[in-house]
Amino acid sequence: MMNQGGNTQTVASLDPNLVENVGFEWGTGFELKFVEHFRNRYVVDASQSQTSYLPSTTGSGAVSWNTHGVDNRSIENGILPNSTYHHEQHTEPLVRNVQDGVNVTSVASSSSLGTTAVSQDYSGYTPYPNSSDPYSYGNTGYQGYYSSYQQQPNHSYSQPVGAYQNTGAPYQPISSFPNSGSYPGPASYSGTYYHPGDYQKAGSYPSSGYNNQTNSWNEGSYANYNSHQYSNYPADATGSYNSGTAAAPSLQYPQQYKQWTDYYGSTEVSCAPGTENMPVATTSNQVPTAPGVTAGYPTTNSQLPTTYTLPWQQDSSSSQMPPLQPTAPINGSHDSYWKHGAPSFQNHHVSHVQPQFQKPMDSKTPYDNFQEQQKVACPQGPNLQYPTAQQTPQSFQSPPVQTPLLDNRRTSKLQIPTNPRIASNLAIGLQKTDKDGSTATSAAKPAYVRISLPKPNEKVSSHDAADSILKPGMFPKSLRGYVERALGRCKDDTEMAACQAVMKEIITKATADGTLYTRDWDTEPLFPLPNAELVNKDLQNSTAVSALPKYKRSPSRRTKSRWEPLPEEKLISKLATASNDTVKFSGWTRSNEKDKKPFSGNMSKENGLNNIKFLLSEQKSANKSAQRPVKRQRLAADGFNARDNGDASSDSDKEQSLATYYSGAIALANSPEERMRRENRSKRFEKGQGNRAETNHFKPRNAGAGNLYARRASALVISKSYEDGGSRAVEDIDWDALTVKGTCQEIEKRYLRLTSAPDPSTVRPEEVLEKALLMVQNSQKNYLYKCDQLKSIRQDLTVQRIRNHLTVRVYETHARLAIEYGDLPEYNQCQSQLKILYAEGIEGCQSEFSAYNLLCVILHSNNKKELLSGMSRLSNVAKEDETVKHALAVRAAVTSGNYVTFFRLYKTAPNLNTCFMDLHVEKMRFKAVSCMSRSYRPTVPVSYIAQVLGFPSVSLTNEGCDDKDSDGIEECVEWLKAHGASVVADNNGDLQLDAKASSSSLFMPEPEDAVSHGDSNLAVNDFLTRASSSTS
Amino acid sequence: MAYVSMGEAHRRITDYLNRFSDAVYSQDVVSLKLLFSFSSNSHFLLPLADALNVFQDANRLIKQSDKYSQFGEIIVPLFRSLQNYRIGNLVDAYHAFEKSANAFLQEFRNWESAWALESLYVIAYEIRVLAERADRELAANGKSPEKLKAAGSFLMKVFGVLAGKGAKRVGALYVTCQLFKIYFKLGTVHLCRSVIRSIDTARIFDFEEFPKRDKVTYMYYTGRLEVFNENFPDADQKLSYALTHCNPRSEANIRMILKYLIPVKLSIGILPEEWMLEKYNLVEYSNIVQALRRGDLRLLRHALQEHEDRFLRSGVYLVLEKLELQVFQRLFKKIYIIQKQKDPSKAHQMKLEVIVKALKWLEMDMDVDEVECIVAILIHKNLVKGYFAHKSKVVVLSKQDPFPKLNGRPVNS
Repeated sequence: MMNQGGNTQTVASLDPNLVENVGFEWGTGFELKFVEHFRNRYVVDASQSQTSYLPSTTGSGAVSWNTHGVDNRSIENGILPNSTYHHEQHTEPLVRNVQDGVNVTSVASSSSLGTTAVSQDYSGYTPYPNSSDPYSYGNTGYQGYYSSYQQQPNHSYSQPVGAYQNTGAPYQPISSFPNSGSYPGPASYSGTYYHPGDYQKAGSYPSSGYNNQTNSWNEGSYANYNSHQYSNYPADATGSYNSGTAAAPSLQYPQQYKQWTDYYGSTEVSCAPGTENMPVATTSNQVPTAPGVTAGYPTTNSQLPTTYTLPWQQDSSSSQMPPLQPTAPINGSHDSYWKHGAPSFQNHHVSHVQPQFQKPMDSKTPYDNFQEQQKVACPQGPNLQYPTAQQTPQSFQSPPVQTPLLDNRRTSKLQIPTNPRIASNLAIGLQKTDKDGSTATSAAKPAYVRISLPKPNEKVSSHDAADSILKPGMFPKSLRGYVERALGRCKDDTEMAACQAVMKEIITKATADGTLYTRDWDTEPLFPLPNAELVNKDLQNSTAVSALPKYKRSPSRRTKSRWEPLPEEKLISKLATASNDTVKFSGWTRSNEKDKKPFSGNMSKENGLNNIKFLLSEQKSANKSAQRPVKRQRLAADGFNARDNGDASSDSDKEQSLATYYSGAIALANSPEERMRRENRSKRFEKGQGNRAETNHFKPRNAGAGNLYARRASALVISKSYEDGGSRAVEDIDWDALTVKGTCQEIEKRYLRLTSAPDPSTVRPEEVLEKALLMVQNSQKNYLYKCDQLKSIRQDLTVQRIRNHLTVRVYETHARLAIEYGDLPEYNQCQSQLKILYAEGIEGCQSEFSAYNLLCVILHSNNKKELLSGMSRLSNVAKEDETVKHALAVRAAVTSGNYVTFFRLYKTAPNLNTCFMDLHVEKMRFKAVSCMSRSYRPTVPVSYIAQVLGFPSVSLTNEGCDDKDSDGIEECVEWLKAHGASVVADNNGDLQLDAKASSSSLFMPEPEDAVSHGDSNLAVNDFLTRASSSTS
Repeated sequence: MAYVSMGEAHRRITDYLNRFSDAVYSQDVVSLKLLFSFSSNSHFLLPLADALNVFQDANRLIKQSDKYSQFGEIIVPLFRSLQNYRIGNLVDAYHAFEKSANAFLQEFRNWESAWALESLYVIAYEIRVLAERADRELAANGKSPEKLKAAGSFLMKVFGVLAGKGAKRVGALYVTCQLFKIYFKLGTVHLCRSVIRSIDTARIFDFEEFPKRDKVTYMYYTGRLEVFNENFPDADQKLSYALTHCNPRSEANIRMILKYLIPVKLSIGILPEEWMLEKYNLVEYSNIVQALRRGDLRLLRHALQEHEDRFLRSGVYLVLEKLELQVFQRLFKKIYIIQKQKDPSKAHQMKLEVIVKALKWLEMDMDVDEVECIVAILIHKNLVKGYFAHKSKVVVLSKQDPFPKLNGRPVNS
């Protein structure tokens, strides 16, 4: 929201342009059409993108784009009757933006980093304004772009406003783009990416307007790109082009959502969405060109279903971008935005939000965790680092998304209605997809299926796995046999996954060098079993990472999402290149290279240069912001070093040369440290391929000091994903890693609700807690003090996972104190914990507390069902217990309304049963008196009533034992009068209750200390007086 | 497991696939539902599971043909579920089945007509049964059983699909009943309320238009809920509806209904015949009925104690316990009748000590105060007409109908 101000500002400044543009825009028939279209279908996104696009393209480029867009849409619309589908489509435009970025990147392929993508985007922009030469990416300086872009953005930005207004109310909110402060758009990620912090402060970057602009520019570039690209490269075949574009939009739709959400979140804009798209684009390109079509192809094919999931927009997106979604939606601004927009959108968001809330976790921990696990060092700063780490894991996920063939299937499958509710399964989906991505195990399983039921995937038999690796019909039978044999050796899923990875590489290789059909697979020796552990680790890491976002609430930490796309690329690249080695510039470089092939090398190179420059400059500014969290940075740096050392990268020649080239370029533009960073960043993509080195680093570090957080976090994350996946037993989680061992020696400690992971130095170990308990038990201070102390003891026990006799005693002590004091809420907390503890077999005063439980139910909740279950749970032993017997008797008395028995029991109550009954005495007395006044005639002696109804109250009995009777009578009369009974004196002077007169006049007086919220313990005055009086 | 040749396996699988797609194309729900019904159609499905184990490539088979592949999302997990079911791996079977059911639900949603309702019923039923068994498996492995809960939320989803307007609405009650079964089993009956509300408040659909069997089940469960709430007139009405409409030959169902209806009827003063208790094997009630007839407090307490567990589990314990007042009433009435025989003129004055003595004979050790309290309560609740004179410790009974019958009304509370 911080950005909001900035945005609005931009809007204002842009106004003039707006006007201009509007005119223009409306001039175009297309636009009108679109608007109408959108109006019907609340495709906010689409309209937005569209509008923005128009203004920016003044030249021919615009036209071409328009037509293109139109074509696409109309076609798609025609095909898909489903509203969901439409929905999707509309969003398409935005998606395309993303895609543009992607495409551009692939084309340029100059830099191996995420940054590359960014820079490319920019390059894309530059050409765009020119519109004459779309391919002159490199030529136009970034600077030029930059400056021009300032103006441009205005156009695009303002444009939407106009469009929305025209379209009508629903869209208007959008125009209020304030949200878009964060909105910057996928394109803007370059800025955001590097300085999440800065960006928000609008320090280094021109403004939020910039971001917005970027978006629009992306679109523009997209247009250029799309229209031109394919025509220029006929080799690639238009077919691929179509598929690429078509597929991308659908795929990206979910992502887009995320993007939006992100923006709104006002956090850093995730470049991820843009990047994510990259893979898609790449694939489409790749397929036609690469010799190993078959190899790459099957995989993508199998993944196709994922795309279908689009109808589930959220879901699929979640599976792909799990981290993003959950987090993003949280933001208020975002919500509001969506509210304005189409209702359907809103739904989605809601669903997103849910997961997030469910898993409120300490964001800090996961963060650290990532750093450690992934060893990705991000020079840019804490925020940055984080994202980076994520990126790697995500690469696994993304692959499924890429579908060259989308078009055909989409029509048939898209219709599946979306169920936003499914989104709650997000985490599962993530995990699963990760797996799938890396292993490519699950053949054509639709993503949504995966999401909902992750487990089955793991169980895929070797056969199935083989299936997924080899598309039936595409490979020689002998090969199939070979794969099956190989997979047959695997003992479990993780091994299987590892095997599959290896196998895939083998096959790709074979395909590449043409031996696929010539080799004798039957006699081919099986490769040694890969170390499943490593793969597994990797998987876990990725899982963890992907799961992480959920925990992140704060915007600054949410960076991850933007990284998602990158990972995809990695996988793709893997497939395409068929090389197993760890490549220095793993993901990006490779994919870029591949991509490059179809395109002209020069162009891309130039682009790369430009991009790099751009990046560097940005990075610099980012550095400033990065420095704040010194500690983290250090960690990150460590990671880097380790990586560097361990990284004996065996790049292919090509890659090597490329790398050198790049580094050279970088050196040209920038200082060595910058370069270092870039390389490091590029390395994080290795993870998929070069697990070994990484994992090695990873272990020792974990063991190191100060890693506690990380370890715990990782365990947490993993456990979380386990739970979500539902497929693994909770026992597998290393809970020990989560446990804090306290070192604090203070006996007294105030209770403070934890808002972050516990700090061992403030947690007391068991011995100290023991003492603390004793101290509380012997303390003369008031209940509030004891309650506070006990709560802190309970907290320390909980964080250290101490569950033993001490725990039981603490809870019992607290429960008793709470009963004495009448603090039912606290008592209930203790009671429910005690129930669990007893169920675990820890001995305590079970009977006593089951009696309390019964009494509590009978006297306070009056829930028949609960009472019944409470009674049926009583063991025979418990039934023999005096306390329990008493409680049962009380219950019988209460249900039958037998006041005589009740007050007898009241006087003989063992333990703290009295305290419970105390709370019921008033009610019982009133019932009794109304019963008496109904059934007795003509009078009832007050002395009898006082005797039967337990007057004087227990509290008063202590004072005067000698004249107890008169005391009781006095009190009783007082009570009767207070309740509207008529008391008369008879001839002997004895007081009598006039039954007949009273029967109609009885009433229940309002309790004097009643408070509006129902819990008198919370009444402020009462609280204060009690507190002060009892302390004194 | 019998050996199945590859060819045979292939044949079985394609047979299944053909049946499936044929059923869908011809909208033949009878054959379609058989294909989902694990529990009742096992003679057909189990051999298929064997075949699937032999012929591992069923997924490819499905994908190969357009005819099958469009149902791939339903069939693939269904096959997996079947395989797991066959080898007794019920948790996995449940997972896969739920996945398949979800896919089917999606399809169903897209079908305009409600032709496939029957197979949705089968799925709802199977998923519940499977979940119960999976939970048992989980519990046996020391894990927390949660599948039934998951099945509950799936069925809630199904309910959402059905509960709109149109032809599909007829199916809503079936799903509701399955949901009731789950909720009652899980002890989360409060969840029933939302479902009930949407059934009860929907004006677009007359309750009578639902299938009879669903109506009976629905009434049975809602009646039971009323028993929990001790809302006897409503419970009586609902359970009686269930009893009168239920198939007279399904004695087990009648017994289930009676198990709750009898306590309800007792509470409103209607006693069952002994032969009925015997016929439906509900003899645990016979002593209670006897106690009510004779005013035998001791017998009542013994009967309650004897079957305490059972009554607690079925949830009628508290209801039966309340019968005590009626037993007192009966006892007082007996005393009154005896007094009347002795001395009609003083019959309406009942001394407290007489009652205490009578209770003593029944080995009920109650002192005067307690009995006085009971008398007061009886008068207060209108089980006895008259008043109590404290000074003389005498119950003065009304001369007219001193012990009013309940006649279908519950005791005043």
